[in-house]
Amino acid sequence: MKNRILVVEDDAAIRDAVLLNLQFADYDAVAFDDGRKAADALEDDHAFDLALLDIMLPGMDGFELFGIMERFGIPVIYMTAKTDSASEIKGLRDGAEDYIVKPFDPLTLMVRIEKVLKRVGKWNAVYRVKDIVVNTETHTVTKGGEPIELQPLEFDVLVALLRHKNMTVSRERLLNEVWGFDYLGETRMVDVKISALRRKLDLEDAIRSIHKLGYRLEDR
Amino acid sequence: MKLYQRITLLVSIVLTVVILAVSLSLLLFAKNTILSLSMEQVQRKQKTLRTSFSEMANYYARSDDSEAVHNSLIKLCFNRFSDQSSVLMRDGKPVSTGVTIDPSVYVTSDSEAFSEGTPVAITVQGRNLLIAGSSASVGTETYSVYVVEDITDTYARIQRMAWIFAGVSIAAIALGAVIVMLLVRRSTKPITALSGAAKEIADGAYEKRVAVRTKDEIGTLGEDFNRMADAVETKISELSERNERQRLFIGGVTHEFKTPMTGLILHAGLLRRANLSEDERDASLAHIEAQTQWLERLTQNLLKLFTSDEEIELESVRIPELLETVEEGVAPKLKEKGAALTVQCETDTLVLNPDLMHSLLNNLIVNAANAYDADAPEKPIVLSVTGRTFSVSDRGRGIPKEAIDRIFEPFFRVDKSRSKKQGGSGLGLALVKAIADAHGASIAVDSEPGKGTTVSVTLP
Repeated sequence: MKNRILVVEDDAAIRDAVLLNLQFADYDAVAFDDGRKAADALEDDHAFDLALLDIMLPGMDGFELFGIMERFGIPVIYMTAKTDSASEIKGLRDGAEDYIVKPFDPLTLMVRIEKVLKRVGKWNAVYRVKDIVVNTETHTVTKGGEPIELQPLEFDVLVALLRHKNMTVSRERLLNEVWGFDYLGETRMVDVKISALRRKLDLEDAIRSIHKLGYRLEDR
Repeated sequence: MKLYQRITLLVSIVLTVVILAVSLSLLLFAKNTILSLSMEQVQRKQKTLRTSFSEMANYYARSDDSEAVHNSLIKLCFNRFSDQSSVLMRDGKPVSTGVTIDPSVYVTSDSEAFSEGTPVAITVQGRNLLIAGSSASVGTETYSVYVVEDITDTYARIQRMAWIFAGVSIAAIALGAVIVMLLVRRSTKPITALSGAAKEIADGAYEKRVAVRTKDEIGTLGEDFNRMADAVETKISELSERNERQRLFIGGVTHEFKTPMTGLILHAGLLRRANLSEDERDASLAHIEAQTQWLERLTQNLLKLFTSDEEIELESVRIPELLETVEEGVAPKLKEKGAALTVQCETDTLVLNPDLMHSLLNNLIVNAANAYDADAPEKPIVLSVTGRTFSVSDRGRGIPKEAIDRIFEPFFRVDKSRSKKQGGSGLGLALVKAIADAHGASIAVDSEPGKGTTVSVTLP
């Protein structure tokens, strides 16, 4: 089952970009451009795993909207251009799970979303691409129902590619997400893992090398 | 060294010199007076003694007296007038003496020195003596009659007096120094207060003032100091107010830039990193185009806002022509909103900057057009010029009372979502205000929610 995410953002450009990024990563996203409209819609449908809220919103601002999210038990990440620490403290003290300041990088947003979902125990641990199913809880990979043996590092690189599905991820970023810190070693190690994944999972076409940028796992 | 210490030291030195001089001269004067009094007394006494003795001895003496008789007679005559200070000598030898110290010790060799009867002060065996002597003839013999007065006690008294003088002088100097110190400290206290206040002001307590109420130069200094502090405080608060406005403005500008920047970053990232479909790519590019256009408008307005701050060029402008160009400029916007514009002009020419005034009126009309709800019936916007007053009236939704004071602030929006959708940069009215200020014009806003708004700009 896909994680459902609510987006409330009045700027069309940001809203569309975030929606697209969420769709790439297999999230089921619903967006509103007005706080009041979002609040009204929640009365009928509140089965969301996470909400991304702008703070300065027409209709009803992000802080007010937070109260409604709380009522339905939906964790919140604020996205806002407000950089002053006062609003940050207010947002987090009120119980928001995280706070991301505009302008932000979409890959970072994806990582933050995943972290919050894991923390609140709503994380859907299963990724799917073509006939491959990756379960991050049991650390198992099946292809067409048949289990496939992967080395731990191969598994982590695969998960990082899946996390940013349809987006190009640089070798440095892959190392960083797999090792969890800025790994200053050989990025060639990534190439080795990628070719192993391509071979073992029959993903020669799906994992594309993008010149000068990195790798992209395409699935659309 | 502190001021009061220095003044006290200087005053003490001067006091010491003066008191020393005065008491020394007093002492000398007293000593001389006493001495000369004693001398006169001794001289008179010697004169009386000599005369009395000489007359009596000559009266009784006979040339045929035997030596023994003669000597007895002389002694008798002398003793008739002598006391314990009288000495009679003949040929350098004492004949009769009442003094304790043997007179031959000091009158033998230089008896001539005492022969005039003028007293002389000498010191013999630790005693201070006044001696007056002169010769007296009895028959053929010459005698010397002396008065030797012991004035050692007088000298001792003078010395005691000197000690008393010294004691009194020292006490006077000390007392004087203490009094001067207290007085100087008291009068320099306001200076200490001034110094403390100056330090506090330097540390940022600009509201600090001093309470110096004396009527002397220090009082004047205190008043001047307070005046200076007033000026500094006013200037500082003006500066920090301007600073704060600038800070808020820059904060506003930054905030305004962040939203379009975020859109740009996200869509540029998508275009570069994602495998987008044709439609998605188009949509992203359209977003980027819209965001950059919006940024361009924002920077244009910022530029105008900054340049209108400077000295502007004024010229005589035909108002009907100006209004015509304004009308042309806002036509597309009015068409988009389905709003109508009525222009009324009763003024021929005014002195102003046509470009800036065009911008001002354009902004007011665009705001008026935006004040209509899409579903509201069409009511005309009125642009009118009467005398020196330009006014733009709409019958749109009006401005909430609490917001009227703030509408000229940069980036203040009564309704954020609506004005953004309409492409407002949040600087329109700030620009109107800046242009009006540059012309020295006043702005009046008359608005009622639900009824409409009239903004009037009156040139000086």
